[in-house]
Amino acid sequence: MPVQKKIGLTALVPPELIFACRCSPFDVNNVIPGSKKYPRNKLCAWTAIWQEMLSKRELKLDSLIVVAGGDCHNALVDGQKVEMSGIPTHFFFYPFDGDPLYLESQLYNLVDFLGTIESPEKSGQIKELKKIGKKIDAKRAQGKLSSGNVFRIMISFSDLMGDLDVFREAINSLKEQKVEMNNRVALIGVPPIYHDFHDVAQSLDLQVVFDELPFEFLRHSGNDIHTIARDYCNYTFARPLDFRIRFLQKELEKRHIDGIVHYTQFACHHMLEDEIMRSKLDYPMLTIQGDLPGKTPEQIKLRLEAFREALDRA
Amino acid sequence: MIGLDVGSTTAKKVSIEDGEIKYQITGTHNWKDLITGIDGNDIISTGYFRNSVPHCASVTEITAAIYGVRYYFPDVDVIVDIGGQDTKVIDVKKNNFIINDKCSAGTGAFLEFVANYFKIELKELGSFHSRAKRIPAINNTCAVFALSEMISQLVAGFTPEEVIAGMHYAFARRISFMIPGARTLVLIGGTVKNKGMLSALEDILQTEIQVPDEPQIVNALGALKYYY
Ligand code: SF4
Repeated sequence: MPVQKKIGLTALVPPELIFACRCSPFDVNNVIPGSKKYPRNKLCAWTAIWQEMLSKRELKLDSLIVVAGGDCHNALVDGQKVEMSGIPTHFFFYPFDGDPLYLESQLYNLVDFLGTIESPEKSGQIKELKKIGKKIDAKRAQGKLSSGNVFRIMISFSDLMGDLDVFREAINSLKEQKVEMNNRVALIGVPPIYHDFHDVAQSLDLQVVFDELPFEFLRHSGNDIHTIARDYCNYTFARPLDFRIRFLQKELEKRHIDGIVHYTQFACHHMLEDEIMRSKLDYPMLTIQGDLPGKTPEQIKLRLEAFREALDRA
Repeated sequence: MIGLDVGSTTAKKVSIEDGEIKYQITGTHNWKDLITGIDGNDIISTGYFRNSVPHCASVTEITAAIYGVRYYFPDVDVIVDIGGQDTKVIDVKKNNFIINDKCSAGTGAFLEFVANYFKIELKELGSFHSRAKRIPAINNTCAVFALSEMISQLVAGFTPEEVIAGMHYAFARRISFMIPGARTLVLIGGTVKNKGMLSALEDILQTEIQVPDEPQIVNALGALKYYY
């Protein structure tokens, strides 16, 4: 069998199609939280770091798919820098209005970029894994799994670790444990850029039971381009805010959330959403902002601890 | 039982004996002097070093401030704590808080920077302000640009007193963006002694600002009150 092409992704791109085209997806954001890089020319550290690593070939990939439309303009620009450095790059656009026909045409373009669909059965296998993912997510909300361990699995649903067997094994290695649920927290916004965030939150007695973006990674699936388009068109981050907020309201209620932590990234447009989230979501809310990757800084820990105390008072 | 607040510059100890508040303040490096003969089981700590000193319980500065301020003003709506390194705004009624520790223009560090420029003591800023006859506009909210604007105003003929008053207004405006509307607004932290800044903030917010009798010990007292 020929060596699989390794395809970089900057955000959610249906991995079903990448596997179906016999390629191996790699979410370039995976390397960021552990990175010690100080990028030269940056707004958001997420895009700046993968841009620099790819352009300098510190990250070896055959090509890159940039999620631009309906997601992130910083990625759109940094993706073009990667393209100019000589890496084949494809730009993928989600429809703001959720039009499945538009998304279908985007998916056809994506398949053209990747080659051809050779292993259509992969979609079904991924669907099964996502079903298990949803169960894991539900178990965490019931206090049966550690928040950090579940997060690490959930965030990996964007690329399924590039290999379905490896990923299945990682899921199987999760061990049930009893977690005391004292402060049920929803983490909304983009994921924190700190590699230990969930464990730090847990050490401060805040149990994350909802991870907004990682939940999107496992929420959508489909067996072919037609069904994938009709499911992924509801990817909340690409849709208007009221659509995303309605979805959040339902999920937060279902999970009996005590409070929300809204993570925002320096120089990211999602920061502008904070006041809307605060006015529409009727829960105690802490907004934090991160910039460079690494361990959760003391200033953020202070805010988390004070937030826990505020929840105690509520 | 004592409340112990060990912050980045000073350490404070508070106890309540026969209903009366007793306190002691020293430099952070001498914090041990405050607890000679006191068992860790009798200490509730707060402040930046709350977890590095002996304690039986600890509480963040934010929660300590709420309990400490309530002792003086039971109806407090909003607490503004302008410290040397950060500024905290605590909306007590809504159980919400924000901290600015990214931009020095909104913290005590900026006032220190200005005092250094004029080669005066930090505590003199208030009296300089009170002697100002006019208040020049300083529009920049960034510390570095504000300083060059202040220099331009000096060149344009304003006195150092007036420029300092203008700077207090610029500083107060920067802080005011963080403050929600409140009936009872209480100011704590190192800068409360600066009357110029206080009056600029009152003027901008159009609200009377309350200051506790002993603003320095509010957090140590609050730590104690949090558990008792
Ligand atoms: S954090 Fe914001 S700016 Fe950065 S990659 Fe994500 S969406 Fe783009």
